[in-house]
Amino acid sequence: MNSIRVSWLFLKLGVLNELQYRVNFFVSLLQAAIALVTGLVVLALVYSHTEELNGWSKSELLCVLGVQILMGGAIRTYIQPNMTRLIEDVRDGKLDFALTKPQDAQVLVSVREVRIWSAVDIVSGFIVVLVGLSRVTTSLGPEDAAAFAVALVFGAVLIYCFWLVIATVAFWVVNMWHAVELFDGIFQTGRWPIGIYPTWLRVSVTFLVPIAFAVTVPAEALTSRLDWETLALAAGFTVVAFAFARWFWRFGLTRYSGASA
Amino acid sequence: MAEHAVVVDRLEKVFQVPERDPGLVAATKGLFRRKTREVRAVDAISFTVDQGEVVGFLGPNGAGKTTTLKMLSGLLHPSGGDAHVLGYLPARRQRGFLSRITLVMGNRNQLQWDLPALDSYELNRAIYRIPREDFAPLRDELIELLDIGDLVRKPVRQLSLGERMKAEIVGALLHKPQVLFLDEPTIGLDVTMQKRIRTFVADYNERYGATVLLTSHYMADVEALCKRVVVIHHGTILYDGALTGLAETFAAYKTIGVALENGHADLSRYGEVIHRDGDWITLRVPKAETSSVTARLLADESVLDLNVEDPPIEDVIELVFAQERPE
Amino acid sequence: MTTVPQTVERREAGRVRSMVDIYLTTARMAIASEFQYRTGHYFFLLGMIAEPVIYLVVWTTIADQQGGSVNGLSAGYFAAYYIVWTLVRNMNIVFGAPYWEYRIREGELNRDLLRPMLPLHWDIAWFAGWKVVMIVLWLPIAFGLSLVFDPTLSPRPAEIVTFAIAIWGAYLIRTMLQESLGMLCFWTTRGAAIFDLYMTVELLLSGRLVPLPLMPDWVQEISRFLPFQWAFYFPIESLVGDLSNQELVQGLFVQLFWILVGLAIFRVAWRSAIKRYSAVGG
Repeated sequence: MNSIRVSWLFLKLGVLNELQYRVNFFVSLLQAAIALVTGLVVLALVYSHTEELNGWSKSELLCVLGVQILMGGAIRTYIQPNMTRLIEDVRDGKLDFALTKPQDAQVLVSVREVRIWSAVDIVSGFIVVLVGLSRVTTSLGPEDAAAFAVALVFGAVLIYCFWLVIATVAFWVVNMWHAVELFDGIFQTGRWPIGIYPTWLRVSVTFLVPIAFAVTVPAEALTSRLDWETLALAAGFTVVAFAFARWFWRFGLTRYSGASA
Repeated sequence: MAEHAVVVDRLEKVFQVPERDPGLVAATKGLFRRKTREVRAVDAISFTVDQGEVVGFLGPNGAGKTTTLKMLSGLLHPSGGDAHVLGYLPARRQRGFLSRITLVMGNRNQLQWDLPALDSYELNRAIYRIPREDFAPLRDELIELLDIGDLVRKPVRQLSLGERMKAEIVGALLHKPQVLFLDEPTIGLDVTMQKRIRTFVADYNERYGATVLLTSHYMADVEALCKRVVVIHHGTILYDGALTGLAETFAAYKTIGVALENGHADLSRYGEVIHRDGDWITLRVPKAETSSVTARLLADESVLDLNVEDPPIEDVIELVFAQERPE
Repeated sequence: MTTVPQTVERREAGRVRSMVDIYLTTARMAIASEFQYRTGHYFFLLGMIAEPVIYLVVWTTIADQQGGSVNGLSAGYFAAYYIVWTLVRNMNIVFGAPYWEYRIREGELNRDLLRPMLPLHWDIAWFAGWKVVMIVLWLPIAFGLSLVFDPTLSPRPAEIVTFAIAIWGAYLIRTMLQESLGMLCFWTTRGAAIFDLYMTVELLLSGRLVPLPLMPDWVQEISRFLPFQWAFYFPIESLVGDLSNQELVQGLFVQLFWILVGLAIFRVAWRSAIKRYSAVGG
């Protein structure tokens, strides 16, 4: 399909471009290390005062940390750069360049940017997951691993839909301040079992900002707590969210093109 | 007897510019040993400026004008030589010195972007310790002289480039500086605005007797304001004297404009034909040959009209600037 | 030669008066200028509460699991700690070292150097003005959080007074430290890495992550000799915790000490930085 080819081309171009800036690699490495150390310190602190948190053991929460870092890396590498650029383009009136290309606009605005150096987070998160897994008592069966992979994909797609909706709102509310910082702040909720949050926060973090599906559900798969109902819910929610995001995007687009005379 | 406001003696500024060859190998080597190249931005220049004088510094981009002004205002330390402004060493950045000078750079903002210029003026009042009784009348007078009126109440970001420049100038003069450094003040402005600012500077100089050092690469700026011109190129002074003498020193040729009965005649044997406008042909001839060429033209062609002129100063300057750096 | 009408002998307004004027004018300008972006700032404030709310929930959960308290700190204490945290965190935001990089690169430094005034005054005054507004904006947020999380907070008058002073002390400490750190920008454009490291150390040792009594003993020992906790943990604790009057006063003096140390470091670093800037032109 053409969209896939286009995505691949942009990816290649983005990577080649960023490879020039070798210093950024070391900076990213340092930042990833710092983020990791901080996360581990907090985890250690928490577990120095308790044995388990909401039913999760230390090693299990280590897996959660790993998934959160991994997912965060994926978001910062591929999703956020595109969405923030979209918001900026709307603000600066540069979106027309994307709209006049023959490709489907949504595909174009979703794949043209990549921050390859944020991928170090993906790697470090994965390592943390492995370390955590090695200490977890229940072993990982092939179904769990498959469920994990599937859950990750659902989670990533859901986050993408969320960001797309936020970016589409930029068509009306041109000034989207601090969207990234806000998101990063809320994303931190993923580090902990969502069971500990008050109900209103738990619901928000599941259905409003789909962090539970992005982090907790894959982590549940890893630690063999995932039941197929939750996975089915994730699947259903992903389909619905994707359809809605796409519809909303096209709706916003018609408004945008109509407005700029 | 007017004192010297600015004394510059063999002033130098040398920059060490890192040099890097392209390629991975060179880049790796560059991590361990840096190769640098010496750039003499200002090469032992000397001049003095009297109190109340208006001097124009003319030179192309990279000639060293801005670097010189930065050294005279204390932003850069000289690599060699001496500079004294109003008796102070600029590099020391003493309070007394900074309170008596002002530096206005075209295209640069010193006013707060989001707020009306009036607010920035208040801040300047406090920073320069201007007594309130003196402040308001001077501010209002400057606003009136530059004709910006209510624009000072609008946020600076809403002003056009020219209006912003005017507001900047007001802000720069509130503390009644004795020496004005104006670095390309008319750059990027339209012709009307340029004229307005030139007139203002001339008026200001006459009213307050402030010394003005102005840099520009627009000849029109210098022509309008300065009786004295300093031409800088490649960090050295090529000419320092009256404006009128500029053409005489540099121009090695004159232009002869001639209208012939036969408009299509080929005059290339008399000199370089640089322009053809209907019946009017403009020739460029070496100075020494002017009279002989004129005589031959009058004798051999049927001339309807003829005049001999100095080349326009812009052309002279362009030729001067086009000279390569002497090795 | 034109006649020189007047070589003005400058009259100057008083020194102290002018300094006060500078601070007031700058603070006013800051409020007017930042006010135009108030909605954006509000979003930023809201986004910032995610971090403390998460910590709050985690620790109260642990407290509840352990039968009410962790290390003697109750769930109500944690709620109070992290709600006050949001204010202190905002008081800690100053012109960071990255701003110095921007200043140099965009040529703003030239403007500042032409003024007969240390840019430090401008930096302090500007944010001070904005902090006043921020405190007002924060009150409804604090109120909302209190309704949700039920903090235990009943401060004595002495504690309230100390807190009111200590948050500004924290502001000044952090200002001095960050400004000094910013001087590194004159020597390298890769300051980002150093700042990140600094921020991490600060994060761990200041009480931003957890109340210090929850940290291992050796960490608490080290932290006592560093300025970080006096800019973060002390102000919070003065209001939320149970410090004696003597400890409150002592804490304020320690703050003063660190402000002066930071100022001294800055002045030395500044002089070097300017020498370097004037030599290479930035």
